[in-house]
Amino acid sequence: MGIFLKTLIALMLGLVALRASAGDVDILIHDPWVRAAPPNVKVLAAYFEIKNNSKKPQTLTKVSSPAFDQVGIHRTVMHENMAHMEHLEELTIPPQAAVVLKPGGLHLMLMDAKKPLQIGGQVPMTLTFRNGKTITFSAIVRSDQMGDTEDHQHMNHSMHENHKP
Amino acid sequence: MLSVAVVVTAIFGWQLSNETVVKPPEEIEDYLFWQAKDLTEFKLMGANNKTLSLNDLKGRWSFVFFGYTHCPDVCPVTMGILGKAFTLLEKTPAVSQEIQGIFISVDPKRDTPESLKEYASYFNDKFIGVTGDPEQLEAIARQMSALFTIHASDPQKSSTYLVSHNSTVFLVDPQGRLYGRFPPPQTPQEVAEVFLKIRMFHSERDKKRWVFF
Repeated sequence: MGIFLKTLIALMLGLVALRASAGDVDILIHDPWVRAAPPNVKVLAAYFEIKNNSKKPQTLTKVSSPAFDQVGIHRTVMHENMAHMEHLEELTIPPQAAVVLKPGGLHLMLMDAKKPLQIGGQVPMTLTFRNGKTITFSAIVRSDQMGDTEDHQHMNHSMHENHKP
Repeated sequence: MLSVAVVVTAIFGWQLSNETVVKPPEEIEDYLFWQAKDLTEFKLMGANNKTLSLNDLKGRWSFVFFGYTHCPDVCPVTMGILGKAFTLLEKTPAVSQEIQGIFISVDPKRDTPESLKEYASYFNDKFIGVTGDPEQLEAIARQMSALFTIHASDPQKSSTYLVSHNSTVFLVDPQGRLYGRFPPPQTPQEVAEVFLKIRMFHSERDKKRWVFF
């Protein structure tokens, strides 16, 4: 029971920290990561889940990172086994809903790293919304989990509990 | 529709050839081409001025993937899956010696053979990276029906263009024939398990001679 309570308190503190770092409780970023890649690769991808807890749609209009020259919102589209990439000017998250950026779909395209990334390293990112609000967070550099048996271990469920009143 | 066509072709082929038809097991049917297709000579360039030609595909199973290193999503996902599939297959020494991965960059303006070596071997040391001039790339891609398009009005001037490409992994048998394909998305387990079944079927079919036409 004692351990349970402590864990609960730690968890809640963690959530408070997450909210604080997000800077805006209306928008939550969950499990942000950048795929580790060969050192000579110039273009990488970042993924995360973005949750809009507000009652209004939120539109992401600008993405940036001090670690990269250029960042864009992209989507991979598969059509008859052909992979195409689409550049999106903006991304709208409907009210009380989440949008998932994940391999094979939506992602942030990170171009021209200022220095090579290391596995376990942090990539700071800033998202700017149409209403002028910004969110800053760090994405962890890790290898692709796809196909690993522990696929779901990285799913952090805090977010789903987080937005309950 | 497809299965009807396969059945009709199989029966027709059987009557014409009067040979025993070895039908592939159902679970690998979708991964195989109806008929293995002989590849014709091609030439691509790898690191250290080493060329890759048809002869280099013979004697081993080759997993061939067309992509480009400025591709942040589909290419590393697919290469990662293939690399992990190879790690699974490497557990069987006999199989381990028989497989190689070939990453063909369709973006020779930005990808040099040297950079491709570093890129491909990152995913598994059984991978090599090659590219070629547009004509050479076109020629090998056409043989595998692997379309690609470079979306730049002038790739010589721009460095941020996108490329559309076929994200199928093609399987070439040790006789240098286009034999099978893994359409996306795949998992390492699927690729490894299906490959082992294809490999087994391939050796059985050789024994029994599968003649369609």
